[in-house]
Amino acid sequence: MTWNFELVAGPMKGRTGGLAWNGKSMLCSAVLEERVVSYDPATNKTDNFRRWTGRVNGLAVAKDGSVFGAQEGGRRMIQFMNDGTARPITEFLEGERQNQPCDVVVDSKGRLWIADSYNAQAPYGPPTAPMLPFAAVLRADPQGPGNYRLNRVTYDTAGPQAVLLSADEKTLYVADGDAERGDVCQLLSYPINEHGSVPHHGKVLLNFQFGERGIAGMCLDSAGNIICCMGWKKSGSGANIIVVSPGGTILETHEAPADLPMRCAFGGADLGDLYVSCGDGGLYRAKDIGRKGLKR
Amino acid sequence: MHGSLEELYVEVDMCAPGWERIVDKSPPVELLARDIIFGEGPVWDKKNKRLVFTDIIGDTIWSWKPGVGKQALLNPSVKANGLALDLENRIVVAGWGGRTVFRQEHDGSWKTLADKWQGKKLNTPNDIVVKSDGSIWFTDPPGGMYNVGMVGPDVQRYLETQPVFRIAPDGKTLSIITEDTVYPNGLCFSPDEKILYVNCSRERVIRAYDVKPDGSVGPKRVFFQYTGPERGVPDGMKCDVAGNVWCTAPGGIWVHDPSGKPIVRIKTPGHHPTNIAFGDDDWKTMYVTNIGSVTRFRLNIAGVPSR
Repeated sequence: MTWNFELVAGPMKGRTGGLAWNGKSMLCSAVLEERVVSYDPATNKTDNFRRWTGRVNGLAVAKDGSVFGAQEGGRRMIQFMNDGTARPITEFLEGERQNQPCDVVVDSKGRLWIADSYNAQAPYGPPTAPMLPFAAVLRADPQGPGNYRLNRVTYDTAGPQAVLLSADEKTLYVADGDAERGDVCQLLSYPINEHGSVPHHGKVLLNFQFGERGIAGMCLDSAGNIICCMGWKKSGSGANIIVVSPGGTILETHEAPADLPMRCAFGGADLGDLYVSCGDGGLYRAKDIGRKGLKR
Repeated sequence: MHGSLEELYVEVDMCAPGWERIVDKSPPVELLARDIIFGEGPVWDKKNKRLVFTDIIGDTIWSWKPGVGKQALLNPSVKANGLALDLENRIVVAGWGGRTVFRQEHDGSWKTLADKWQGKKLNTPNDIVVKSDGSIWFTDPPGGMYNVGMVGPDVQRYLETQPVFRIAPDGKTLSIITEDTVYPNGLCFSPDEKILYVNCSRERVIRAYDVKPDGSVGPKRVFFQYTGPERGVPDGMKCDVAGNVWCTAPGGIWVHDPSGKPIVRIKTPGHHPTNIAFGDDDWKTMYVTNIGSVTRFRLNIAGVPSR
């Protein structure tokens, strides 16, 4: 089956980033434009969800409809509240300032799973705090209204780019490695124990060659397979959207709508449409792909 | 950056003829505080013989007295930034992360003077100056919503522009002086208060505006444009009694004559200087806040008194 993508929003300046379906619209981070846009498929219109985001990338929708944002520019997680305000919710891991988070998912307990990576673009403000000596997946545990405590989750990652939880939230998937920094890229999986911890070494589901751009964004289909945005045109197998089984078998490969596919998310009625953001600043959609998104 | 805190000395460069009237070649430097994270907002309180300054990331407004050391005046300060003294010698604060301008009352309490413009929250007030008529002027860029370690409880911006605001002598009426700057940061008046200087950290420029009797200003003009590869941006700014404009900027503290021409650049110890204040009874001591420290050294010229 061929996936036919159409451009539905953009192109925007720079690479588009995080995606999240809020039940009505697809939210999409225009990271360098410092805004999150909202694409409404019912009207085919794109509006600003929020401006002046401080380079928010990854997005996740909370139960109350507020939206979590991974603010690369501010080295923190923030939450876009329903009253129009935005509050910072995490900055420190055991007293040290976190890196530049780029992706986030929220689980049924309200915990945030955060890809806390390094970034080629410096954060805002004077350089008063060094980056952490590691780039890991962090977990922010709610400690009461507006308060979260950061915990380190992974110990074998070099630069996590994307995070995903299985349908039963017992498995953590991590797209690790930033090829532009020279990392070797992998797709890892970790069993999550009852305390939210994972083994120090993940299971390698996919291993990319040196110089090959790995996975930048992931989402889950209703069968539990992982839809991945991966690759680039300059090396490897190209810029693709692949479907990977929970065990690491590549089930399908589709050409991405543009180079540097960034993030993907299901949206629309019954979560039947797949949205993809790309390095050209576009937000794309494919209908009738034979898969639907997981309803959580 | 020049030297370290273990090597306390000042160097001068970019010296134009007559620079010696500003500062000696290598005056002794005294370290006043080193256990702060990001010093800012220095102002000399002559009445109480103390320096008041902020540590933005350390979330504190400090008082420092010779022979006593530093004492916290307000903690948390919600990431307070620039400071000034009003006509009654009260501390007025550019609230930065807290997105307000506030004042310490005579009873020691803190009172909000401004927090909204036309119903919308201010950006993040950065630096502040009090004119002799009692009006309070402050810059309002958005950096306190984004900068690492400097934000308050709400990081959503609401204003379309980044104004320079004025609070009238009544302490209540807020008006926009200008909104033509991309990122207004430091500001000061010439000694006769006929010129307002505002620097822009994004465009690395100091601009000047003629101040009109009604408190408004005329069109902007470029006073000095910083260029070159050195790191740093124009930040804190003050005037001396001769009308020279002092600005923490790339490579150190720049001193410009009233035409904008650089007279001398003072390279201070430690990390990047953020802001400056003239102090002591003769106003001939330069107090410097830095990333990580506060220092002082003597000058050959007096600054415009802060009150």
